[in-house]
Amino acid sequence: KTHLDPQETTEGSTLQEARSTWSQHENSTRNLALIFTEHLRLVLHPTQATKMRGDFRTGKRLNIKRIIPYIASSYKRDKIWMRRSVPTKRSYQVMLAIDDSKSMAESGSKEIAFDTVALLAKALSMLEVGELSVVGFGENVTVAHDFGMPFTSEAGAQVVRQFGFTQTRTDLRKLLAESIELFRSARLKATGSASELWQLQLIVSDGICEDHPSIRQLVRRAHGERIMVVFIVVDAEAQTTQASKQSILDLQTAEFTKDEKGEMQLKMVKYLDTFPFRYYLIVRDVQEMPAVLAGALRQWFAEVVETAGA
Amino acid sequence: MATTTTETVTAPAPRQTQVRIHLHTRSDDIELPQDTGPILVSTEVKRYQLSTLVNRLLETEKPVPLEFLINGQFLRSSLDDFLTQNGISAETTLRVEYVRALIPPLYVASY
Ligand SMILES: [Mg+2]
Repeated sequence: KTHLDPQETTEGSTLQEARSTWSQHENSTRNLALIFTEHLRLVLHPTQATKMRGDFRTGKRLNIKRIIPYIASSYKRDKIWMRRSVPTKRSYQVMLAIDDSKSMAESGSKEIAFDTVALLAKALSMLEVGELSVVGFGENVTVAHDFGMPFTSEAGAQVVRQFGFTQTRTDLRKLLAESIELFRSARLKATGSASELWQLQLIVSDGICEDHPSIRQLVRRAHGERIMVVFIVVDAEAQTTQASKQSILDLQTAEFTKDEKGEMQLKMVKYLDTFPFRYYLIVRDVQEMPAVLAGALRQWFAEVVETAGA
Repeated sequence: MATTTTETVTAPAPRQTQVRIHLHTRSDDIELPQDTGPILVSTEVKRYQLSTLVNRLLETEKPVPLEFLINGQFLRSSLDDFLTQNGISAETTLRVEYVRALIPPLYVASY
């Protein structure tokens, strides 16, 4: 190559570098992706139909309501059997939101973030359950990979290229507000029955974010629009630092308030006690991801089924 | 009449920023009883709040007056101003050193 392709030099990395980074992550998570696929298959595909339905000439169980008409019709109306109904095929739109802020680079969480993308992309493509999109967030939200596009290795490299982990803010409010919009338009473009479309957002971040009350409000709004938000807290520092405590589990917030006399009061609060996401998991090692994430999704589906049945 | 709601989701206005600080000292007698790890504080805090925080952690009966140093500079403003002036982002964990505040000298000693 004798000239520089302007398309290949961005502030992040060159396409060549991005390709090699992506293939490293693909390779290092290959076996784990198989395990993950099996975990997810059980969770994402409802294998058992829950209800027996009538009316068939043969079947598993009698439909009691059909017995009297059957006798009254001199055994002519003989569709008296019920069968297990075939489960409807669910489809998913999964958005991976990766924290592109500087704190991710400082805590050494970049690697685990890309591993997560590789893992999910592989598992979802093997399961053929739906579409995957990847967005980056920090001060701004950028769509690194859109729904409706196949997630190939080349797509992975393009995603890697768009992350620099240099954004100087971590604006979760903006992420949630913009993702709700993205999910709304993706739902409109989705093929198939809207009732069987499930939208899921997985946020991969070190978990340090401000203004928990307004974030909580936005999470509630997302749930109201049937978007499930799972926060994967990458706690990379828990294992890397030697002497001092760095884990998010130990992080405390010092809150200064003024009492009625105008005197300053100091309250120490455990950071995670006010964490605004209902479904969150703390992952220290990408090896833990399959079981932990599958567990969270299983719990979510159980809750959805429970509220739907009530 | 049913109308579909297409209200746009607007993010609430940003409020205060927070930053993680890691407190340490070189004076053995005012070392924290246990390593607390980073603590999240509002960037609006100044010396007085930080002093209250360290004294709380020290569990001393009489508060020790303290001064704070970040990257070798004494903190004379809010953390927010300090970060802005020094071009540091709140994404970083700040290493904050604390020292006993010296009683202002009545006269300047000549060397
Ligand atoms: Mg951050």
